Amino acid sequence: MRTIRHRSGSLLVVALGVALAGTAVGGPKKGKKPPAAEKKGKAGGTAAGSAEGAAGGTEGASGSDDIEIDQPKAGAGSAGGGGAGGGGGAGSAAGGAGAGGGSGTIDMEEEEKPAGNLEQELNATQTQQTVKAGEVKKTPLSWKDILVVVRKPFLKLRRTELFPFVAITMNDNMLTHYTIGGEFAYWLTDVLAVGVEGQYYTHNFNEPFDLVARQARRLPTVNQYNWSAALDFHYVPVYGKFAVFDRKLVAWEVFFTAGVGAGQSEVIPRDTKYPGFTNFLIMPNAGAAFRFFLAKWVTINFGIRDYIFIDKFEPTDRSPTMNSTASEAQDHADSSLINNIMFQIGISFWLPTSFEYTTFR
Amino acid sequence: MSNKLSLLAALIGVAFVNQDARADGRRLNSLHTDVAVRHRRLLVANRFELAPLFESTINPEFQHVIGGGAKLEYHLGDMLSIGVVGVGSTQLHTALTDRILPTLESNADPATREPSQTEFSQHLNSMPVHGAAYLSLTPWYGKLAAFSAAYVAFDFYFQAGVSYAQLINNCDSSVCNDPSPGMARMQGAETIPADNNPNNDDPQNGGTRIGLYLGGGIHVFLNDFLALDLTVRDYAFSDNPSGADYNADLFVGKNPTTGDDDNRFLHHLFFGAGVSIMIPFTVKRTP
Repeated sequence: MRTIRHRSGSLLVVALGVALAGTAVGGPKKGKKPPAAEKKGKAGGTAAGSAEGAAGGTEGASGSDDIEIDQPKAGAGSAGGGGAGGGGGAGSAAGGAGAGGGSGTIDMEEEEKPAGNLEQELNATQTQQTVKAGEVKKTPLSWKDILVVVRKPFLKLRRTELFPFVAITMNDNMLTHYTIGGEFAYWLTDVLAVGVEGQYYTHNFNEPFDLVARQARRLPTVNQYNWSAALDFHYVPVYGKFAVFDRKLVAWEVFFTAGVGAGQSEVIPRDTKYPGFTNFLIMPNAGAAFRFFLAKWVTINFGIRDYIFIDKFEPTDRSPTMNSTASEAQDHADSSLINNIMFQIGISFWLPTSFEYTTFR
Repeated sequence: MSNKLSLLAALIGVAFVNQDARADGRRLNSLHTDVAVRHRRLLVANRFELAPLFESTINPEFQHVIGGGAKLEYHLGDMLSIGVVGVGSTQLHTALTDRILPTLESNADPATREPSQTEFSQHLNSMPVHGAAYLSLTPWYGKLAAFSAAYVAFDFYFQAGVSYAQLINNCDSSVCNDPSPGMARMQGAETIPADNNPNNDDPQNGGTRIGLYLGGGIHVFLNDFLALDLTVRDYAFSDNPSGADYNADLFVGKNPTTGDDDNRFLHHLFFGAGVSIMIPFTVKRTP
C-alpha cells in the first residue's frame, strides 16, 4: 500500500513535468495576454488595429483566460487579413473558417471554390472602374526601419594600407624639419598591424637661431636630419563615431604606434671652414594618431610621433689645431638624448579597395 | 527523504528560471537589456560650463609660461556657446636660456656688444595674467569605445575671439639706463650720438596686449555633468619675448625712420587641460 509520503514524491515529479511542458510551449515571456492597445500598435494600420481591438475587446469581455475562436465581423476580417500583425491575420483566418463551420472549431478542410465563368470575368474587367491614384503619402518611419546594431563601416582585417604622409617638427625652436614619407602596413587583425615606414627630411631655420646669434652673440650648435626608416606596430584601442553638424555620421578610431628603426643626422658646422660629419642613429619611436574613415578604401590620418635617439653634436672647441677634421670632431662630439616629436598627416589607401561581411546581420 | 526531494525541486526550479539566459548558450552583456534607440547623451544647451584648468606653453623660445585658471562658458545651444578664460601664470627658463646664460659675461662690457648675464635675463618679459573672450562652435559630437569596454561621449570644438595679456618686464634702471635709445641726445651744448648698444635699452616688451584668440579642443564626458577638457589655445598679440634688438637697427624700440618695431605679431601656443563642470548638473530628457 502506498504511503502518503510516496504519493507526495510522485505528485512532485508530476508537477515538475507539468512545469517542463509549460515552458516548452513557449508562451509570451511576460505570460500575459497583451492588452488591446498594444496589439493595435503592433499591427501598424488603423483598420487592422481596430479589427484586432474589437477582437481583443470581445475576448476581454468573455471574462475568461481560455483560448477562444471568435466569429469576426465581415469587414473586420478582411482588414485583419490585410494588416501587418500576425495575430490579426491568424485571427481572420480562424474566424473565416469558424464562420463556415458555425461551431467555433477550426475546420482544416479546404473550401471548394466555385467554378469560374470566363465570359463574366472578361465583362468585369471591361466595366471595372480604374482605380484613381491619389496623392502619394509618405509613410512615417516605423520601428522596423531602425537598425538596432549598426555594423562597423570599415574593416581592416587582412588588408594592406598604403599611407603617404607629410610631417613637421613640433618641439624644436631652432630648426623646423619637414618630412615627406610613406608607410606600408599589413593588418593582421582589425586592431593590430605591422608596417614599415621611410621619411626624407628638409629643414628651415627658425627665428631664435638668428636671434641667439645676433642678440646673445652665440652660435647655436644644431644638427639636421637626412632620412629615417622604421618597422612599426599599430594597435587600435579606441573606436567611435561622431555626427557632423547633426547630419553626417563619421566613424573614427585612435591607434597607438611603437617601432624601432634607423636614421641619419648631420652636423651643421658653426664655422663653414670646418667639415661636418654624419651620425647613424638607432631610432625607436612611439606615437598616437587619429584615423577618420571616408570611404571603404580611403581614410585620413593625423597624429603625433616621437622619435627617440642619442645624437652627437659638434664639439664647442674647434680650431685649426683641435678637432679640425671631421673624424676628430666626431670622436670628441657631445652626445645628447633627443626626442624629435613630429606631427604627421596623410591619406591612407586600402587594398583590396572593398570588403564584405561574411556573417549575417 | 522529503528534504532531499524539496531541495531537488528547488534546484530544478532555479534551473528553469534561468533557462532564458542560457537556452542558446550565448553570453549576454548589459546591452541586451538596453533600449534599441538611445537619446543623445550630450545635451549642453542652456547650461553653464565651469572648467578649472591648467595651461602651459608649447615650444616657447626663452621662457615657459605655466599656470592655472578657469574657463566659464554659456551654451546657447548644443553647438554654439560664448565664454571667457583667464589664467594666472609663472615663468620658467627654457633649456635654451639655461644653455646661453652661463656662457655670457658676468659684467656688462659695451665694447663686446655681448649682453651680460644680468642684461640678458632682465630683458626677458613675463606674462603673469592672460585670457580671452570667445565664441565656440561644437560641430562634432559622438561616442567612442575604449578597449570595447568603456563607452564615453565626446565632442570637438573650435573657438575664436579676442585675447588679452598682461606683460611685465623687470629691467632695473641700473641695467636699462640708456635715456634715448637709438637717438642722439643733447647734453648741454654737446650732442651725444646714439650708443648703438641695444643691451642697455629699455626692452619695451611690457604692458597690456590685446590680440587674436584661436583654440580647439575636445570634451570627453565622464557623466552628464562632468567632462575632461583638453585644448590647444593660440593667444596672438604683439610681443618681443627676448626684449632685445630684433630688426638689427642697434636699438630696441620703434624705428622712427623705417617704422619697424622690435615688437612683432607672435603666436603664443598653450596646451590646456581641465575638468568641465556643467551647471545645472542634470538634463531634462524626453522619455
